[in-house]
Amino acid sequence: MEAIRIEPAKALDEVLATQRKLAAALDTLHKMDDVEFGVTAKEEIYREDKVVVYRYKGERAPTAKVPILIVYALVNRPYMVDLQDDRSLVKNLLAQGEDVYLIDWGYPDGADRWLTLDDYINGYIARAVDAVARHRHVRKINLLGICQGGAFSLCFAAMHPERVQNLITMVTPVDFQTPDNMLSNWVQKLDVDLFVDTLGNVPADLMNLCYLMLKPVRLNQQKYIGLVDILDNKVEMENFLRMEKWIFDSPDQAGEAFRQFLKDFYQGNKLIKGGLKIGNREVHLGNITMPVLNVFAEQDHLVPPAASRVLADHVGTKDYTQIAFRGGHIGIYVSGRAQREVPGAIHDWLAARAR
Amino acid sequence: MSESFFSDAGKQWQAFMQQSAGPWSEFLRPGARTPDAFEQWTSAFGGAGSTPRETIDRFMQGAKDYVAFMQSTLNAGGANADGLSAWAEPIKRMFAAQGGHGAAFDNPFARLWPAQAGNPFAGLASAPFAAPFAMPGAAPDLQDFKSWLALPTFGLTREHQERQQKATVAWVEYQEQVARHNEQMFKAAKRGFELFEGKLAEREQPGRQVESLRALYDLWVDAAEEGYAEVALSQEYREAYGALVNAQMRLRSLVQQEVERVSADFGMPTRGEIDSIGQRLQALRREVRELRGGDALIDEIAQLRGELDALVRNTVREAMAEPAATPPQAVPRKRSAPPRRAATSETPAKRPAAKKAAPPRAAAAVAPSGFATRIAQFADASLGGKRKTRKTDAAPAKAGRTKKKH
Repeated sequence: MEAIRIEPAKALDEVLATQRKLAAALDTLHKMDDVEFGVTAKEEIYREDKVVVYRYKGERAPTAKVPILIVYALVNRPYMVDLQDDRSLVKNLLAQGEDVYLIDWGYPDGADRWLTLDDYINGYIARAVDAVARHRHVRKINLLGICQGGAFSLCFAAMHPERVQNLITMVTPVDFQTPDNMLSNWVQKLDVDLFVDTLGNVPADLMNLCYLMLKPVRLNQQKYIGLVDILDNKVEMENFLRMEKWIFDSPDQAGEAFRQFLKDFYQGNKLIKGGLKIGNREVHLGNITMPVLNVFAEQDHLVPPAASRVLADHVGTKDYTQIAFRGGHIGIYVSGRAQREVPGAIHDWLAARAR
Repeated sequence: MSESFFSDAGKQWQAFMQQSAGPWSEFLRPGARTPDAFEQWTSAFGGAGSTPRETIDRFMQGAKDYVAFMQSTLNAGGANADGLSAWAEPIKRMFAAQGGHGAAFDNPFARLWPAQAGNPFAGLASAPFAAPFAMPGAAPDLQDFKSWLALPTFGLTREHQERQQKATVAWVEYQEQVARHNEQMFKAAKRGFELFEGKLAEREQPGRQVESLRALYDLWVDAAEEGYAEVALSQEYREAYGALVNAQMRLRSLVQQEVERVSADFGMPTRGEIDSIGQRLQALRREVRELRGGDALIDEIAQLRGELDALVRNTVREAMAEPAATPPQAVPRKRSAPPRRAATSETPAKRPAAKKAAPPRAAAAVAPSGFATRIAQFADASLGGKRKTRKTDAAPAKAGRTKKKH
């Protein structure tokens, strides 16, 4: 039996259909407006340098007594958690009665070149936590760390356990040297000092290039060929362009923080091997004694599941829960399944610990 | 698939081409010059409103590649009228040929690397150091060139010459690493093709045949990505990638140093100077924060909060335990509540003497007022309940704080 069984008429239909879609693209693309994102209303409660802490406003007052502070990664913009009306982790958490705050890191520039991980974690995050606690008149808050922000949240919770009521990590790398971690493989032989000394802040385009090269054909070519299928659908195109904007709307990385992140986390794997110091403090994951919920994605090509799962072996808490989500690194926020499963799971887990 | 495919396909394709008009169909015409035809079509997007131009560019590139794929595939299949057995082979040959410089899917990885907008790896490809290699008929051996650059320099400008020689050597070494990296990319493409062959063989089973051009393309993508991942996760690639980036950073660094020198000669501020100012400023900010208390103050606040909590807990515990020692009829259940209620309505005059200290402690625990107020309340409460709390939680907490001060 032959492997390829393409009927001639069908092949020509395909070509004609592609032609029709491309013709429609002219019309559709010309009609596209600027994409909007970040749909939920929010108010600024704290600002320092380029860092802003927002409180999101739900349609009704929150019922949760302990607020959640979302700590997003430095490498992308945080509006992924509130991308659009029907794809919003924030909106769904608010609907469940949670009180949601978020740290927006802004876009670092040359003035931020010398910010260290100490400045970020024991500085900005610590003061953001204080700001949220003051705002809600509580002593402890819930931290929700995402990706690199999850690693930062782990460090913060380990160094300041008295300030974290519950810790939630999403798609968070803990073991930075699992065999399937392509990014990790690439940076092991990098002369990080030469790299940062030369570049200063690390350009966002360079970061994005690295991410694209994790799956070069899929992300540089197949994705755009798939676009042909939705070219005549304005709503779908808006969704696509919104995601596209988020992917490439990336901040540069503050040089010193990047230096330490690569050397200590990726090359040294010190978060689990030990010896990690942020400022003058040592980070011991064993000091994390508050309840921990770890959510990771089974098809994550940036943070392989094995890199997250290992958290269970290192935290000091006796109350550890993990959820394996069927999806990818981004799908965990924006897929239909994510909207149904993730916010509810987080809320239920928190509610069970609020009794 | 029936044999009529190959006998009919050519006629149908010709008919389709004749019916179709415009640059798109022109592009699909076998033998058309792909880039020009597609450029003609894409020029229609010149004023694509507010749609991000880069997205359109990416889409165009993807669509161009895909259409080229369809064209090549149909040509490959249509050129053979010998039935199905001939269908897969031309496609395999097409992919095999593209391991070198094929038109549709030439080595995708090597092409994607330098083609990306903003790719810092692309920026130095046309550095002035490339000039000797651009001379007509000149294709000097890199190693030979490097040996010439190692010659000593003399005289007034020797330092300048030496720096330029080093920068040129760095450029040559960077080119060597680019070539090494490209070898890895070709290796990935080759491996992708091997996997593609395997995947095609799997599709020979009944019910698993590839039945559309899109499915064929997707199959190729799966194979290409798997092949690439194998290479990209290897130790060999780790070395090649690290060497490539390090070589480029060395070159960039030397170029930057030259730019700094020239800038200084013209009296212009340099990046190095601005960096130094930024570094000092950041250090100063840390010192100021430290002088204001910094982390130590944060720790102390946390510790004081802990002590305060412990005191409140003790007081409540004692308040609840104390009535148990008296006859049951003297302990109405609601009496356990006063400390909590005291936060909003204090009625100290009506309270039993043993609980006099409780209201201010409870108030301190929940009062949303400033920290100074809470410390004052804490001090008051501590003085009032010192004898009772010394043996419980408060004692170790106090010891902890004292230890920190030392």
